[in-house]
Amino acid sequence: MYRRKLSIMIAEDDLADINLIQSLLEKSPYLEKIEIVRNGQELMDNLNLKKYDSSLHPDLILLDLNMPKKNGRQVLSEMKIDPQFKKIPVIVFTSSGDEKDILDCYTLHANSYIRKPIDLNDMNDTLQYIEDYWFKTVSLPSDRMN
Amino acid sequence: MRVEKQHSFADGHFKVAVDAAPNAMIMTNDQGQIVLANQQAELLFGYSKAELIGQSIEMLVPERYRQQHPHERRSFWEKPSPRKMGAGRDLFGLRKDKTEVPVEIGLTPVELKDGRYVISAIVDITERQKTEKKLQAKTEELARSNAELEQFAYVTSHDLQAPLRHITAYVQLLEKQLDGKLDAKSQQMMGFVVSGAKRMQQLINGLLSFSRVSRDRSHFSQADLNQIVQDALANLEIVLKESQVSVTVDPLPFVNVDAQLIVNLFQNLIENAAKFKKENEPGRIHIFSEIKGSEVIITVKDNGIGIQEEYKEKVFVIFQRLHTPEEYPGTGLGLAICKKILHFHGCQIWIESEYGVGSSFCFNLPLA
Repeated sequence: MYRRKLSIMIAEDDLADINLIQSLLEKSPYLEKIEIVRNGQELMDNLNLKKYDSSLHPDLILLDLNMPKKNGRQVLSEMKIDPQFKKIPVIVFTSSGDEKDILDCYTLHANSYIRKPIDLNDMNDTLQYIEDYWFKTVSLPSDRMN
Repeated sequence: MRVEKQHSFADGHFKVAVDAAPNAMIMTNDQGQIVLANQQAELLFGYSKAELIGQSIEMLVPERYRQQHPHERRSFWEKPSPRKMGAGRDLFGLRKDKTEVPVEIGLTPVELKDGRYVISAIVDITERQKTEKKLQAKTEELARSNAELEQFAYVTSHDLQAPLRHITAYVQLLEKQLDGKLDAKSQQMMGFVVSGAKRMQQLINGLLSFSRVSRDRSHFSQADLNQIVQDALANLEIVLKESQVSVTVDPLPFVNVDAQLIVNLFQNLIENAAKFKKENEPGRIHIFSEIKGSEVIITVKDNGIGIQEEYKEKVFVIFQRLHTPEEYPGTGLGLAICKKILHFHGCQIWIESEYGVGSSFCFNLPLA
């Protein structure tokens, strides 16, 4: 399947995690661009700047839950009722395995929920799975028919 | 309408009976005039009988209720029946020294030869209110500490994981970057950092499941123990296959439990039994039960290494382990969780074991 390169936005406040995720994702040949935002407020501000030009929207958002200013739950509840933003797939990527977090996120229309592994190799595998599934397998709303 | 037919209230027996009553009692005529009061009424209100008799009952009603009281008295006579006064309202009596006392009042209409009367039985509820307040404060305290526990569980589940990932992943990254430049000893040291952090994660996850045992009691229901054991066995299918342990189960009764927790309990016990099997002998686990009155005693019996007498209590203590992780892996939480699950059900767990022959873990559960 032909797939144009994707742009992904990572919302993450933890610098160590940003470095880790970025260094592992950057190797992907399917990736055009990684945008980093450091909290939920920055994410919403960033999206709102290009609100009516969906060609500038990220193809995917990797969203941490516990962030300062605006947390992942608040981002989901704002994004998923906004007609411009609600179609952008959001992958919650968090340390939390709390069943309430998982339930809350899907209730708020998260498109998937993935726990960040502790081990480097597991992290590598997990990001590989994300690439295999979200970059290579699924059809995205941003895909053009051809 | 139920009206007690009595002798005249002046009758000696009647007076003695009223006087001997453990509560304050005051009898009024249909004009609201006090005609009889007992010793307890004297104690409660601080007036002598002589001061009370002949006076209007309103003298014992706090000022702010006094105006409407005669109206309420009259409406009582429209439908006279024994009942509590002021259903659901807080009632107060006014003492001679002008202090108020919270009371509960029972009203009984009495018809005598010379007219209609009401007997009021008045209970001082100061102490009860104090107790209720204390109880409420305790309940609030409990709710607060439960909320704190929830918060603790969340912190363990989330906030402690990120630093562990940083330790683990970055040591592993370092190792990769220094590939070939590290001597064997340094490499082993890095290995210890990673395995230490991973073990810490296991412990944190264990603590999390331990703290989650007593979240709420809303999940209690009638459950089939046979199904519960089957669910536990299904979850352990791979473990049991790998350790070559066979499990036999006798028919079990229905119980009244939080089924998910009891699945967890059996899983922990069976896993524990499978782990501590003898090396040179196929492992066998047998699960059976015995009904005793309104409960059932369940036994999970194995032919494993057994537990020495002195450790039979210790094994249920959190983080208590009898072996090094190299001998037998584990967190020291499994049996502590079992004990907590059973305490949550108001039940006990104990061990019958012969060292070197095997162990029997026994516990009781309420029958459905």
